[in-house]
Amino acid sequence: MSNQHQAARIRAWSTPIILALALLAFVVLTTALGDKSMARMAAQTLIRVTFVVGLWIFVGNSGVVSFGHAGFMAIGAYASAWLTLKPQTKALFLPDLWPWLAQAEWPVLPAAIAGGFLAATVALISGAAILRLSGIAASIATFAFLAIVNTIYSNWEGVTGATSSVVGLARYADQWVTLGWAVAAIFVAAFYANSASGLALRATREDEVAARASGVSMYRHRVLAMTISGFFTGVSGALLGHSLGVLNPGSFYLGITFITLAMLVVGGIGSLSGAVTGVVALSLLIEALVRMERGIEIGTTEFALPSGAQEILIGVVMILVLIIRPGGLTGGREFQLGRRRAEPKQQTATNRGVTT
Amino acid sequence: MAKLGVFDVSVRYGKVPALNDVSLHLNEGERMFISGPNGAGKSSLLRAISGAVATSHGRIEMDGTILTGRPPEAIARQGLSMVPEGREIFGSMTVEENLRVGTGIRRDRSAIESDIAEIYDAFPILGQRRNASAGALSGGQQQMLAIGRALMTNPKLMMVDEPSLGLAPNIVDQVYDTLVALQQERGLTLLIVEQSSARAARVGGRMVLLRGGAIVDQGDAREFAEKDLLKDAYFGGAKTEDA
Repeated sequence: MSNQHQAARIRAWSTPIILALALLAFVVLTTALGDKSMARMAAQTLIRVTFVVGLWIFVGNSGVVSFGHAGFMAIGAYASAWLTLKPQTKALFLPDLWPWLAQAEWPVLPAAIAGGFLAATVALISGAAILRLSGIAASIATFAFLAIVNTIYSNWEGVTGATSSVVGLARYADQWVTLGWAVAAIFVAAFYANSASGLALRATREDEVAARASGVSMYRHRVLAMTISGFFTGVSGALLGHSLGVLNPGSFYLGITFITLAMLVVGGIGSLSGAVTGVVALSLLIEALVRMERGIEIGTTEFALPSGAQEILIGVVMILVLIIRPGGLTGGREFQLGRRRAEPKQQTATNRGVTT
Repeated sequence: MAKLGVFDVSVRYGKVPALNDVSLHLNEGERMFISGPNGAGKSSLLRAISGAVATSHGRIEMDGTILTGRPPEAIARQGLSMVPEGREIFGSMTVEENLRVGTGIRRDRSAIESDIAEIYDAFPILGQRRNASAGALSGGQQQMLAIGRALMTNPKLMMVDEPSLGLAPNIVDQVYDTLVALQQERGLTLLIVEQSSARAARVGGRMVLLRGGAIVDQGDAREFAEKDLLKDAYFGGAKTEDA
């Protein structure tokens, strides 16, 4: 009996290991085969993996779609900038920063972690306020949260630089650093999903009434998942700033919200493997389309897609995936060692699981 | 002291009344059946007791503690467990995960493993399919899983909403045999929604008949079965469901 139980545990833990190895292979391949722009693409992809896996911790387990996580990303990104920028730069561009923050010159890793913690704290407070709402209402409230964060960061001139960009961030977030964080996010996500809280939260996603009748406090587990989720999306924001070197509130608004949700849906919202698969698949597709927009030579003729084709084609891909595989590319399954579970009702279960 | 006391409870959905001043009392270790036509308020009564719907009037007590107005998860912690109608199991989760959901509220962590083993003893088929997706189980197996899940919260009072719904008669026999055995082992108090008076009479226990949201009759289940037989004999009505 305990053997079977152990086998199930090993199967569950094989998922993050497989995902981590796949991402390692992705980085090794792009670094070995590609140029500098490939390495940058790999880093961007891994930042999105960190973000989307963080998003999945909440959305995948609770079934409540969040439009607010780009707000946590902004909070983490600016926090890391405040802590790591040179005091002279801050005096020039961000004159209204609190004195201790204006003088702070933290190393990058603690700054990223602090960014994550600040985002997690905001996630805890905002989550506590809005997660008593039912699925669709909670989703709309997360969208309102995003709008609030965006408005604050776009207008708080002396602290965030408002709509003019904050520049001069140390560009340390290369493909290896981002790989480290993506793998950390994946392991924490797997740990949470297999924990008692993750199990309880997934039960509320399936059937709220039955879960609560089993003693599950849906609200508490939702807030906990939102907080952990906020940490990793906050860290991904810090990484994004330190990858581009530049911060602008516009980078953390509708564009990133929709592309990351598209990645989650395309990969399969029901599983961690789906979250990672969706990011990698869509990131590679975007990269290919961007290159085609720039023009590629076939023989002597140059062939280029009209600009804007990328956005349209991503939309088409998303629609096609939703039609052909409503459960996403992974169909809500995990990559696991050993025998697969029989999941004939997976598709309906996944559809039922998402309230928006 | 009564295990469960329901005092003048009313439930309305918007303006539509579902229950009107219903009162009933269950003693410790007792078994009670609730019967009545569709829309009589049977499920509403169970939902009101478990906290899934709010009462508009009245009071519900368990072991002298007032349950009314508390959220369902708090009521479950009190030791009251419900097996919802239609076997609402968590379809995309495994059998074992379904059982573990109910253990989140328990402090006796070490006893959980032995309780799971006990459930697998009572329902061997669940043990065999512990890592299978719960949605892939047959109707009877899902009903057993729903009962097993409810037991994992270590309840003192268990409510089962129509365990016979959509199941073959021999499976229903199995479900009731298990419920009765579990009740004797654990000293459970049982409140069961059951349409068929013949079935209830065979299992044995008290019976309450609901109609239009109110209790219209109550007594021993056997008396109800005899009355129903008599009615059939006089009016040639349809036979009671699976008798």
